[in-house]
Amino acid sequence: MIFETFKIAIQSLFANKLRTLLSMLGIIIGVAAVIAVVSIASGSQAQITSQISDLGSNLINISPGISSGAGGQISRTSADIFTLDLGKHIEKNSPNVKRVVPTSSASGLLIKANNNYRATIVGTEADYQVINKYYPVKGMFFSQYDVDNSTGVIVLGTDLVEELFPDSEPLGQSVKFNINNSTQVFRVIGVMEDKARGLIGDLNSQAYIPITTFMNKVSNSNYVSNFVAQAVSSENAEMALYEIEYLLDGYISEDDEYNIFSQDQLLDTINSVTNTLKLMLIGIAGISLLVGGIGIMNIMLVSVTERTREIGIRKALGAKKSNILFQFIMEALVLSSVGGIIGIFLGGLASYSISQIGGWPFVMSTLIVLIAFTFSLFVGMFFGIYPAYRASKLNPVDALSYE
Amino acid sequence: MINIKDIEKTYQNGKIEVQALKGVSFEIEEGEMVSIMGPSGSGKSTLMNILGCLDTATSGYYSLNDQDISQASEKELAYIRNKEVGFVFQQFNLLGRKTVLSNVEVPLIYSGAKKKERIKRAEDLLVKVGLGHRMKHYPNEISGGQKQRVAIARALANNPSLVLADEPTGNLDTNTGEEIMDLFQQLNDQGHTIILVTHEHNIAAYAERTIELIDGLIQRDVVA
Ligand SMILES: Nc1ncnc2c1ncn2[C@@H]1O[C@H](COP(=O)(O)OP(=O)(O)OP(=O)(O)O)[C@@H](O)[C@H]1O
Ligand SMILES: [Mg+2]
Repeated sequence: MIFETFKIAIQSLFANKLRTLLSMLGIIIGVAAVIAVVSIASGSQAQITSQISDLGSNLINISPGISSGAGGQISRTSADIFTLDLGKHIEKNSPNVKRVVPTSSASGLLIKANNNYRATIVGTEADYQVINKYYPVKGMFFSQYDVDNSTGVIVLGTDLVEELFPDSEPLGQSVKFNINNSTQVFRVIGVMEDKARGLIGDLNSQAYIPITTFMNKVSNSNYVSNFVAQAVSSENAEMALYEIEYLLDGYISEDDEYNIFSQDQLLDTINSVTNTLKLMLIGIAGISLLVGGIGIMNIMLVSVTERTREIGIRKALGAKKSNILFQFIMEALVLSSVGGIIGIFLGGLASYSISQIGGWPFVMSTLIVLIAFTFSLFVGMFFGIYPAYRASKLNPVDALSYE
Repeated sequence: MINIKDIEKTYQNGKIEVQALKGVSFEIEEGEMVSIMGPSGSGKSTLMNILGCLDTATSGYYSLNDQDISQASEKELAYIRNKEVGFVFQQFNLLGRKTVLSNVEVPLIYSGAKKKERIKRAEDLLVKVGLGHRMKHYPNEISGGQKQRVAIARALANNPSLVLADEPTGNLDTNTGEEIMDLFQQLNDQGHTIILVTHEHNIAAYAERTIELIDGLIQRDVVA
């Protein structure tokens, strides 16, 4: 009997192919949208997350606080506390901190003969490599010796090499760095590996020099822009954070502000933002699914009216109320489930293509496919029941005499 | 087999009431062939619909095969329409999207017969009404007389004891009408109780008993 009802439903849907397709369209689009939204959001989220954890989840960033000074000007009030000694102090006195690396950066023009390129020059220490998991492919990075002696060496990101040394060997050559009308000369001792563009900016277009050289020749100051501390392990990152805060509070006056955040906090923030975004998009897609359901109801009501006579004939031949009810619910279910399957397929296809373009992993969870499919069935059922009920309670004579 | 007493039927359309049957009583024995005649609007179709359980009377008593129909539930009525009564309409009422064979199968689907059984039974019936060569055709591909034969085959699907026909020849020419009546005659000979509505005396003459309705009341009930 179930099979017969199913067959009747299929036949009447096939009898009106265009209308069937149109009424499925709402469900198809709704399901496809839900699938695509979730898949794209998950894929890009996975990409961001992996980029951040690539940086190491045990990193803590410390920088001077920014507060507004007189005349609405922004002044870095605590900047003059950020000496190299502060970094050493933290490294020595915080048991959960493995190392502290200072960084300062400035942007200016890098020049080699006729080629020049606007680049960011970063002053740091040798451990910069360890913290960023970022190493030279050619030559070498500068060492503690260079930092101690403030030597004039430079290590270039890959993009810079392409721009400045299109067809010559960079190692051992000198480049000029022009900032604020003063020019410094550096000797290239290494070329860094190619690193995918990540959250902390484009490493490939940066150049690296010893922090002391930076302070002496580029910024002409005794202070650095920020410190990156690495905890002994990611489990200890939280403890390390508290220790650093404690040390800083003892080191600087109350008015002075500083910013400190761990990679974990960053990850949490980003995840919560993308999750909110994801929920919102799912909500919107869900609404379109609901609208699809109303489309099904509309078509079903038309179909019941149109087939009043058929219902009368079937009842005259012995169809029970339940037979008619079941027949129309079955039609709604077939509509919504076929629509759901097509939607899943299209949604998967769309999110796959977009993930290829966006360059993130293609993620399609079975859970969301199941949820979307179940929801579409539910929508079909819900919006199919009323028309089916109307059909089933028709009086046979009235239905038969319907013109 | 059929026993009705004081059957009344009042239609209510908003404020307007139409009393189509004003107290109709009769008994019909198993194996009878009865024709119902009367002017247009006298309540013939109303009466047939009540007898066929397609509609319910406003008041009065109706029993079919010793079952009190006035008390029957909707489910029981569906069962009776399926198994105990075969209805033949003036407008044939075939399902246009189904083949002749599938049309005859419909009552068998609702009685829960297996696919094989259904096809066998439907084929046998179609051969019996002389349409063995048209089984795969659709209703719009056959003539009016042939459609009515399909409708008769369909009415007989579950071998009902009672066959009701409301102006079965109304849409057919005289010759075709007589062929259809020969078929009913044959069914009656095989034991089916038959009640048919007609305007034509030569059609009514096939039945041994004629009930005449006028304005919702029985005017005459004669056995030839
Ligand atoms: N659904 C309805 N609503 C209101 N009045 C109705 C309805 N069906 C029938 N009637 C009225 O009931 C009366 C009997 O109608 P019925 O169809 O039984 O007549 P009939 O004898 O079959 O006529 P005909 O020979 O023209 O078929 C008529 O006056 C008709 O207008
Ligand atoms: Mg009539």
